[in-house]
Amino acid sequence: MKINRNTVGSLEIISYYTGYIVLCMAVLTLIPIITSLIFAEWNPLLDFIISMAITVLVGLGLVLCGWRTRLQKANIQWKHGFVVAALSWLILMVLCGIPTFLSGNVGSMLDACFDVMSGFTTTGLVLTQNLDHLSSGLNMWRHMLTFIGGQGMVVLALTVMVKGTNGAYKLYVGEAKDIELVPNVKGTARLIWKISMVYLLIGTAALWLNGVLIGLSPVPALLHALYIFESAWSTGGFAPMTQNIMYYHSVSYETVAMVIFIIGSFNFGLHYAIWQGKRKELVKNIETQSFFITSFLACMLAVYGLEKLHVYPNTVSFFRRVVFNVLSAHTTTGFGSIYARQFALEWGDFGILIMIIAMLIGGSACSTAGGFKGLRVGIVFKGLLMDVKKLLCSERNVKAYKFHYMKDHILDDSLVRSSATIIICYMALFSAGTLLGTFYGYPLASSAFEAASATGNVGLSVGVTAPGTPAGLKIYYIIAMYLGRLEFLSVFALFGYVAGGVKKLCVKSFRH
Amino acid sequence: MRKILQTLILCLILVIPFSVQVRAADAVSINSLIENAKAMDGKEVSVQGEAIGEMLERGEYCWVNLNDGTNAIGIWMKTADARSITRYGDYKNTGDTVKITGVFYRACAQHGGEADIHGTSLQIVKKGVSSVYPVSSGKLLTAVLLTVLAGCLFTVYYRISRKPRPVP
Repeated sequence: MKINRNTVGSLEIISYYTGYIVLCMAVLTLIPIITSLIFAEWNPLLDFIISMAITVLVGLGLVLCGWRTRLQKANIQWKHGFVVAALSWLILMVLCGIPTFLSGNVGSMLDACFDVMSGFTTTGLVLTQNLDHLSSGLNMWRHMLTFIGGQGMVVLALTVMVKGTNGAYKLYVGEAKDIELVPNVKGTARLIWKISMVYLLIGTAALWLNGVLIGLSPVPALLHALYIFESAWSTGGFAPMTQNIMYYHSVSYETVAMVIFIIGSFNFGLHYAIWQGKRKELVKNIETQSFFITSFLACMLAVYGLEKLHVYPNTVSFFRRVVFNVLSAHTTTGFGSIYARQFALEWGDFGILIMIIAMLIGGSACSTAGGFKGLRVGIVFKGLLMDVKKLLCSERNVKAYKFHYMKDHILDDSLVRSSATIIICYMALFSAGTLLGTFYGYPLASSAFEAASATGNVGLSVGVTAPGTPAGLKIYYIIAMYLGRLEFLSVFALFGYVAGGVKKLCVKSFRH
Repeated sequence: MRKILQTLILCLILVIPFSVQVRAADAVSINSLIENAKAMDGKEVSVQGEAIGEMLERGEYCWVNLNDGTNAIGIWMKTADARSITRYGDYKNTGDTVKITGVFYRACAQHGGEADIHGTSLQIVKKGVSSVYPVSSGKLLTAVLLTVLAGCLFTVYYRISRKPRPVP
């Protein structure tokens, strides 16, 4: 009997906090509703009202189901934190897909879910059709989802939480964020949003000014600036037009966007350290060191490889088409300054391979970026160096190896092992995606490119992702984006929890 | 007579496929340009599609973005010519359908390696219209019903949350 009570308790805790996060998202639907009202877009307005009402119903239902959690101030355990994060992302994928589906711009609910997951995970792969005729409300929604996804929905819920929550840190870690900017989690969550909002104001203003100078009218320039900022900062890759960043035909616009997505791919801890005047952190941090080394190597190799193929005519072209795309891939942004098919047709196997590696490495931990992260690459590389040094040194010589990541850390075997495990998980996910792509008849290079893009939450495409893509592949990409963004543990916890529950039910029914 | 007929049939056989080829070359799709970019590089092409977004003026020249349903591409052309486009496509408008002839560049040296077309002539094929979206009564009814339901549930939630907590 005791076991049963505990199970109910866990379900109630999960239900209560998942409902709370869902309700936060319902409130945010007011933003596209207001946008639709301003631009007098009545059908999108109704779509968002329907979506908001359903989200409120689901959210309140979940909160009321877990009401005892609030009354008894139940403690959150690690498993609850992980399951709440993973479950709320799944529920919100479906709920937030409603306006996209009702708009008629997607072929099916699966495509709508795909686009929402792509937005939440800051991937940027698109199945929405007729982008050039999308309503302002729906564009606001898509870009807002990617902006919120970048910061994290749990982070958002913790920010607006009226009272502190027992075990808030466990909810926060569940969303693959572990940095503590200030001692309490609520303060950290608020700081993450504060940093993002300050950059939002600066970045949107810079892009708006640039937009007006390159010929956009003031109001569309403002909307485009906001959308591109949200997408760049969150390393998302969504854009309001079919041509993505190519719509603007401007080196200055591309450069501003590039600066934003590079800054956006940095750790929030690094932003906070620089705000506090600790500028040396930028140079000392293992993650920035790793990022600068790998991005420099990737750019150089790609430029060298494409120069050999005579793909681009001059230096400016190499900067705008090669450096931009490699950095877009490395930061897992996904803005494309060439057509998707040009990767497959013109870049050659070497260029594609460089892009795949860059996409898989990704940006910084505890940032808006995806991939297996520069921090892990740095740790594994240093771990390898440590092992080589140990082999060459005398056995009597005991030395502690360190690395700098906000503060000095001792590099031990368990840390190297856990980093390597996550990298292996990413590689397995990528390999399975490549295998599935080839199974559906796509060429190996294209399958690998698209699988790396989905796994690393990048969003660049060689043309595999399209409305006509087989449903099985679409579902796999959704899973890859989801696993990649939450860095496996939360999703594994959810699967484990569900499997455990099913097992208990089976045992119970078998005994009866 | 028989020879004349044979000659006529032969001419027809030769002319029909040729005319189809000419028509295909007349307006190529943007996707076929991208797919065959190396072969089409530097050649004069015609594309037909809807002008989208807005004209991006850069002094004497400007960019017009054209979507033909397969993809979209930037056309670099004289601003004076582009002014004949009166409506650009967005949510509330279907833009003018224009046919543009110009030179296609796979990686334009003048424009930072972009795949673009330097337009030389423009023809308005069809004037754009404002898009009308009648409000769906089904959606309206669903929205009202769901809002009322959500309001009711929120009232229940509000009442429960206002109740004093039991002393443990």
